[in-house]
Amino acid sequence: MARNVTGCGILLLLAAGFGWTQQAEKNPFTRFEDIAEGRRLYRLDCVNCHGMDGKSGRGARLASKFRRHGSSDSEMFRTISDGIPGTEMPGLWRDPEAVWKILAFVRTLEESGTEACVAGDGDPRKGRELFLNKGSCAACHTVGMGGGRLGPDLSFVGAVRSHDYLLDSLVDPGKDIPPRHRTVRLVDGQGGRFEGVILNEDGYTVHMLDRGEQIRSFVKTDLRQLEKPKESLMPGYGGLLDEIERSDLIAYLCSLTGPDVRAAR
Amino acid sequence: MRFLILLLLLSRVLSAQVTHEDLLRADETPGNWLTYSGNFQGHRHSGLGEITPANVDQLRLKWVFQRRFREKFETTPLVVDGIMYLTVPPNEAYALDVETGVVLWEYKRSLPPKIIVCCGQVNRGLAIQGDRLFMATLDAMVIALDSKTGRLLWESDMIDYKLGYAATHAPLVVKDKVIVGVAGGEYGIRGFIDAYNVEDGEREWRFYTVPGPGEFGNDTWEGDSWKTGGASVWITGSYDPATNLTYWGTGNPGPDWNGDVRKGDNLFSDAVVALDADTGARVWHFQFTPHDVHDWDATQIMVLVDRAFQGRDRALLITANRNGFYYVLDRKTGEFLHASEFVKQTWAERIDENGRPVRAPGKFPTEKGNKVFPMVAGGTNWMSPTYSPRTGLFYVTAREGSSIYFKGEAVYKPGTRFWGGHFRNQDQDEDWKGAIRALDPVTGALVWEHRMFKPAWAGLVSTAGGLVFGGSEEGYLKALDAKTGEQLWYINLGGRIIASPMTYESKGRQHVAVAAGNGLFVFTLPN
Ligand code: HEC
Ligand code: HEC
Repeated sequence: MARNVTGCGILLLLAAGFGWTQQAEKNPFTRFEDIAEGRRLYRLDCVNCHGMDGKSGRGARLASKFRRHGSSDSEMFRTISDGIPGTEMPGLWRDPEAVWKILAFVRTLEESGTEACVAGDGDPRKGRELFLNKGSCAACHTVGMGGGRLGPDLSFVGAVRSHDYLLDSLVDPGKDIPPRHRTVRLVDGQGGRFEGVILNEDGYTVHMLDRGEQIRSFVKTDLRQLEKPKESLMPGYGGLLDEIERSDLIAYLCSLTGPDVRAAR
Repeated sequence: MRFLILLLLLSRVLSAQVTHEDLLRADETPGNWLTYSGNFQGHRHSGLGEITPANVDQLRLKWVFQRRFREKFETTPLVVDGIMYLTVPPNEAYALDVETGVVLWEYKRSLPPKIIVCCGQVNRGLAIQGDRLFMATLDAMVIALDSKTGRLLWESDMIDYKLGYAATHAPLVVKDKVIVGVAGGEYGIRGFIDAYNVEDGEREWRFYTVPGPGEFGNDTWEGDSWKTGGASVWITGSYDPATNLTYWGTGNPGPDWNGDVRKGDNLFSDAVVALDADTGARVWHFQFTPHDVHDWDATQIMVLVDRAFQGRDRALLITANRNGFYYVLDRKTGEFLHASEFVKQTWAERIDENGRPVRAPGKFPTEKGNKVFPMVAGGTNWMSPTYSPRTGLFYVTAREGSSIYFKGEAVYKPGTRFWGGHFRNQDQDEDWKGAIRALDPVTGALVWEHRMFKPAWAGLVSTAGGLVFGGSEEGYLKALDAKTGEQLWYINLGGRIIASPMTYESKGRQHVAVAAGNGLFVFTLPN
């Protein structure tokens, strides 16, 4: 028997609260053995992105008390088990007990870390200058509201990447390219050459955001050439910026921790 | 010739820069679909004419876009120069290539665990201006996304969602403002309509759909009942550039079925309010159902048409209301011009010369239950009607049937149901059925009807090709002859259609798209 209650009509479907398994507010698994088990699981599931010491690489820095997505037990439980939609942070396919134990281990990392991405003795104000002018970083990157679209949004890069990762990004940008920012280069049927970051590739089509920030669509059978070089569209800055300038820039990037997205809640 | 064109188009630049002027002239670019209703006037009519009564039976599936979700799929996509933008429940947004449905970017909002909504974690779509998309969210925020990357540009709190507020409809962008209302009419909210600056999300104005002390209409609420008066807003308004007025339908007064705790007319619930788009100031209002006790929100699309009415050219606002009546108003002044039944109703003896219903005795909800037509979901609901300037007809999804309305206790506790009763649909009765109806917009007279097995939740789109596309509760997408109502084509999409179809053009071909089940289905004629 179909019950017709859509729109504002009501009844049934208090769908809210339905998808979320009821979880304890506080971590019930915090004994020494729990932490040891959490460490074992962390090594399996998290280490590639966050590093064993939590200083990060591709994942957020866990060796710090700063949490963009909430720092209470229940918020972090949710972050770890569901992942963070729209980012590289995946959900975890494990039972709640395992998630709690991993969290118990993550808490031990927090104690070991500093609050900010280790920035050496660079000057973030000078770094900002370099970012906007000499480096023309804003041509490809956004911080806050304005900037370019080719590179990743850097508004909270200081919360997500480690100092070493940032340094690599400047001198050897191709070393680790996030999946959403891979380079694609192609020649179409008319001999036109195009280069950009790849938005989609499937059996029949390729889409890119080209250097002029246009979204372009191509049918594969029409292409003369298609390459996905393991190079970044970002130029290496090893030559253009000296060591002091680089450390200023990194100090600036480290200071970019974005708005605390849960603060308003 | 066609082959040549195709070749040249193989590498396409898909870009989107939509100005306010583009939105004003949306009818002149029928290949795109720029707003929820296709134009500011709420017509949901397309100037595309490739698909006609003669060839519609050859329509075939072009692509499907699917996602996994538990909620109802109520979206209307936008299409701008080769890219489709749509929302997926609960609060995700996607950019797709209109030729293939391939995903170009996605935005997934991380929602707090306890969203409070009566009727599912749904969203009905986006608005666009410049290279920005705007979405209203279930945690009562308005957000802006970059149309090329899906990146979040700004988000603005409307109000604390924990008190029962949410936002579900596609915003309306007028000039430099994003206009959005709040849902939550089942939770004792105090409704409002807001405007936010497209640049930075600063709130520019707010209009309370329930007036506070000292404001016009506050005396239509007994005591403090205005504080929990409801009058939510959950369907996109219309805009008339000639008057600079924006027209919004408002929801039921709270609590839904027990009016004893809110004696009076309960303005501006179940009404249309005409607001100055720059300031949010109310210029006029018209209340369809004063002191509603049946949950008959006036959250229908307000359709703006210019027609001769009794020998005089007039700027009209027409709407088929959930209470079972079809209305014609003067949209400059709000003057009532006409009302007539478009489905069976038993609650009113007639609508008087001022547009006020003369209630039939004994039709209020009772403790034991009282059967009244139309059903609680109404003679129609939020699904879009369409007006075709070509046939001059107004088309509406009509819902026939009754509910038994029960009155209960109404005690307000923040963030919880404030219903004051319940209802039972008489959905096993013979007279529980659906139809797509064509009405004469001036007289409300029935021109034709296409009967359906059950009342449907699918809206309608009409086209210059002379067709009306609609859908049924069982999941059939169908095409009717706009002049006669004759059914020319149908296909089972295998899932309920709880959305309104739209149509666009790509590579010179007309496409028809509709959300059904967990997919968005797109059809074209064969090459
Ligand atoms: C594929 C890479 C990847 C894996 C595997 C991964 N993460 Fe993450 N994680 C990320 C990224 C990237 C972010 C930052 C997301 C953002 O905010 O943009 C993140 C964010 C987080 C955060 C939130 C930090 C904050 O500031 O709020 C926590 C906590 C976290 N990860 C824990 C874990 C744990 C525990 C595991 C293993 C179960 C794990 N992650 C596995 C990539 C990963
Ligand atoms: C021509 C465009 C362009 C310019 C100019 C550019 N970048 Fe990039 N940047 C990219 C792209 C594309 C990526 C992603 C691929 C990669 O990781 O190398 C990237 C990645 C990065 C990353 C890694 C972000 C992450 O979270 O993985 C950082 C940090 C960064 N850039 C900083 C800078 C700074 C600082 C400058 C100026 C000195 C700069 N970029 C100039 C295009 C650019």
